[in-house]
Amino acid sequence: MSELIRVIGLTEEISVLATELRATASATEITPSAVLDVFEAWAAALGERETADIPGVQFLRMWLRRGTLEPIIARELGGNALCGGWMEDGRARLKAYPLGVVGHWPAGNIEIQPILSMTCALLGGNASLVRVPGGLNDSTRLIMGKLEQSDRARVLTRRVCMLVFDHARRDLQEAMARSVDGAMIWGGEEAVLQVRGLPFPHWARLAVFGPRISVAAMDADSWSNTQEQESWCRRIARDVWQFDQQACSSPQVLFLEKKAGHSSHDFASSLKKAFESENRLHPRQTIHAALTTAICQARASWLLDNVAKSAIFSQGPDWTILLGSGSVIPKPTQGKTLTVLEVDDLFDPIEKLDGNVQTLGLAMSNPAREAKLASVAARRSVDRIVKLGRMHVFAPPWDGVDLIRPMVRVVRHVPSVG
Amino acid sequence: MNEIGQRIDQLLAIPPYGLPPEEREAALLTLLKDELEYAGSRNPGYRNYIQHWPVDTHSARRVADLPFLPVGLLKAQPPLSLVEPSEIKRILTSSSTTGQTPSRITLDSPTARRMTKGVVAIAQDFIGSTRRPYLVVDVPGSTGGGPQLGARGAAIQGLQPFASEVTYCLKPDQAGDLTLDRDKLRHFAEARGPSPVLVYGFTYILWKYLVKPLIAENISLGMPGVHILHSGGWKLLQEEAVDKKSFNDGLARVFGCSADRVIDFYGMVENVGVIYPDCPEGNKHVPAFADVLVRNPLTLQQVPEGEQGIVQVCSVLPTSFPGHLLLTEDIAKIVAYDGCRCGRRGTCFRFVGRVAKAELRGCGNIDRKRQQAT
Repeated sequence: MSELIRVIGLTEEISVLATELRATASATEITPSAVLDVFEAWAAALGERETADIPGVQFLRMWLRRGTLEPIIARELGGNALCGGWMEDGRARLKAYPLGVVGHWPAGNIEIQPILSMTCALLGGNASLVRVPGGLNDSTRLIMGKLEQSDRARVLTRRVCMLVFDHARRDLQEAMARSVDGAMIWGGEEAVLQVRGLPFPHWARLAVFGPRISVAAMDADSWSNTQEQESWCRRIARDVWQFDQQACSSPQVLFLEKKAGHSSHDFASSLKKAFESENRLHPRQTIHAALTTAICQARASWLLDNVAKSAIFSQGPDWTILLGSGSVIPKPTQGKTLTVLEVDDLFDPIEKLDGNVQTLGLAMSNPAREAKLASVAARRSVDRIVKLGRMHVFAPPWDGVDLIRPMVRVVRHVPSVG
Repeated sequence: MNEIGQRIDQLLAIPPYGLPPEEREAALLTLLKDELEYAGSRNPGYRNYIQHWPVDTHSARRVADLPFLPVGLLKAQPPLSLVEPSEIKRILTSSSTTGQTPSRITLDSPTARRMTKGVVAIAQDFIGSTRRPYLVVDVPGSTGGGPQLGARGAAIQGLQPFASEVTYCLKPDQAGDLTLDRDKLRHFAEARGPSPVLVYGFTYILWKYLVKPLIAENISLGMPGVHILHSGGWKLLQEEAVDKKSFNDGLARVFGCSADRVIDFYGMVENVGVIYPDCPEGNKHVPAFADVLVRNPLTLQQVPEGEQGIVQVCSVLPTSFPGHLLLTEDIAKIVAYDGCRCGRRGTCFRFVGRVAKAELRGCGNIDRKRQQAT
């Protein structure tokens, strides 16, 4: 079990911890390569029994691998950054240095998010103060325990402190904000607005991820192709299931382009089978009663609204498919409630997208048309356009922002001699 | 429809807490199925909902398998109704937190009549059937005279069949707040003394405007024959750290009666004609013409005895709106499915509280207003 997680009651505790972390971060440089050495060992340890089944841990293990992160470091910080070298830029040379102490405010719905956020800052050489959301204490403690086990030399653990305190403690939130040089903020609208309003130092850099929603879309030939239908439905189910559809990259609506002679209800039947199968493999372990009532309400209000609408859903709150038509994104319910809307032309809903949509999951049969659609979506503020089934693959840029670079300073040195 | 009405009246006519659970389940199931079919024939949207329910209504073997409607749907405007506008006799509105939309329940004459009968059948099992002076701890006019009736008014009116006369003992003060009409209360108490009297008030109103001021002045009304019924929830009292025992003791002291003369009942306007008074064991019971299911939020299956979940209320009484099977936003615990020591048959349960509002749900949580605005 981890000793890195501390329950905080006083503002002074936070400033003392931040001072220690800043001193550690500024005393010695740590190269991304040295960070990756520890990450590799940590990834291996996370495969052990206590942590292997925590949701998202398998993804985290892949994320921590050198093969995943080296290209990201090279792209964001430059080719020489891995070993802490300078990069030539004409007569000058450039190198990334950490901001100092980075504060992390992760969303409370994704078990591994405090860890993912922290790893991004560590790769930049920063120390991290991480506020652990109440519901994630246990999983975070287990995951960090594996880091301690893998980092006997305390290369990384002495650069990390995870804080547990009631989110309503404004004084502690403010103390944490005052103590950091940068912040990575994740979450819903209310949470993000609240954290952004904290008294950060004027030099602090903020990287905000969310709040966003995501949509899926399939052109006429993709969903009507009976040979591929089952495979597409499995991919959609996978995207809907992860994080109980509460992540910004979770599809809330699926647009289907109409195809003469094909019924979207047949496709919905395939989708139902995929949802049932995914539910057998990954049943929900717990649910907030308010989400149950919201799901029930979404089903009823959808069907009462218009007799042309239909729906398929399980007896429990496990999953819901709401079927109708139109190009406007309905109010998201989350909790594996997917609205499937038929449209005449897939460009109709995409042209109506706005800054709220982060990811567009696509199934298109014509590459040229997909490229055109992607351009339209990008102009409509969509930041990620990916194949269905890969909507949650965590790779920068995320929300249109790099993951490591926002928390580093790129120092320019123009030699005075020579 | 007449045939359904007759069957409802038959259930209303039998003692409310005497049926063994399996007999009540069978009677309710067949009647509710027919009522759902009737309701579907009157409201196409509701029919669409019933038709998409995962269990076919006709082949359902348990009340728990029938399609329930989340109570929030009764906030629709115009109200969800099964009758023509000309047949609507009254619209009940729920109490709602500031800024929230209240439920709007359409009542035609038959449903309004059954509503009264239902409340009477239940209440007389607890306080007897005789008429007696009725002291309402509220302002005159709470029941209104117009087409709309709020939750407080509906509760006051529901107990009027027990009244030989009605006295309201609060009045508005100059600031528009409520205040105790001490002269009226004193005259009422002096005239009735130890004889049977019925008192009703909203829980918080009773405490704030009657109990607190009279206890502060050490006044006892000397009415040991009183029955005090109250409803409306405990949230405001909990904020003042007043628990049930302190509340009951306070009322008993003010009226000069024993604390067991105080009866807390739960009721919601959407569940017309059904109230749930506490029995001497502290449990709530379900009458023959209704049922309460408590569902596990994870599965929506009924919970076993001793566990808690989301409350679903069931009632055969309404035929003017689809209020037969309503999933509420309340949490309750099933004490037992039969065998309460008070002798009443069937499910007994206790309310635990409201479904807590959802916590912020990750980075995919976007306010709807913003979505619509863009």
